[in-house]
Amino acid sequence: MAFAKKSSPRRFGRRKGCRFCADNTLKIDYKEVRTLRYFISERGKIVPRRISGNCAIHQRKVTEAIKRARNIALLSFTSNRTVD
Amino acid sequence: MRTYETIFIVNPQIVGDEYTAVLDKFKSVLTDQNAEILKFAEWGTKRLAYPVKKHEHGTYVLVNFNAENTVVKEFERRMRLDDSIIKFQTLLLEGGFEAPLATEAAEAADDVDEENDESEE
Repeated sequence: MAFAKKSSPRRFGRRKGCRFCADNTLKIDYKEVRTLRYFISERGKIVPRRISGNCAIHQRKVTEAIKRARNIALLSFTSNRTVD
Repeated sequence: MRTYETIFIVNPQIVGDEYTAVLDKFKSVLTDQNAEILKFAEWGTKRLAYPVKKHEHGTYVLVNFNAENTVVKEFERRMRLDDSIIKFQTLLLEGGFEAPLATEAAEAADDVDEENDESEE
């Protein structure tokens, strides 16, 4: 038949799964801005779970940590200017 | 008794003896109220992510302590009154204080595969 099914559904996928579940040595801490920076867009927004791939529990922790870091001026609320 | 973590930012123009005087003052605020200081870390002067009280830089100090909740109230009140403290934040550590492992810092960040759709305007 002419309608042969495509065998590979998606070749270039994003890495799936929560990185904190996969590696439980990783800690979510508001003081460690470097780990949190993966979950922040260039504009300083928190990256949603559908993009970051975090599970619900860890996304919530990341969100909380980012907000704490913002409060104490370790992360900015808006632009990309962050403290290193 | 509960474990708390306070991080405060000292005015960066306060250096030397004045700076140590400020730290000693707030240490004594805690110890005078029978709080037990677990960790006292000075991070040094850093650039702030956004200006706070017209300061672009600030000297970060992190202190972990065991105390009653009334102590926190008094400690925060004193920080609010003192002009040399430009910002502070206190957290309750529910799991208690655990000393960070030395290996943690060595753990390099692993790669990010996410593509970011945000663009700089």
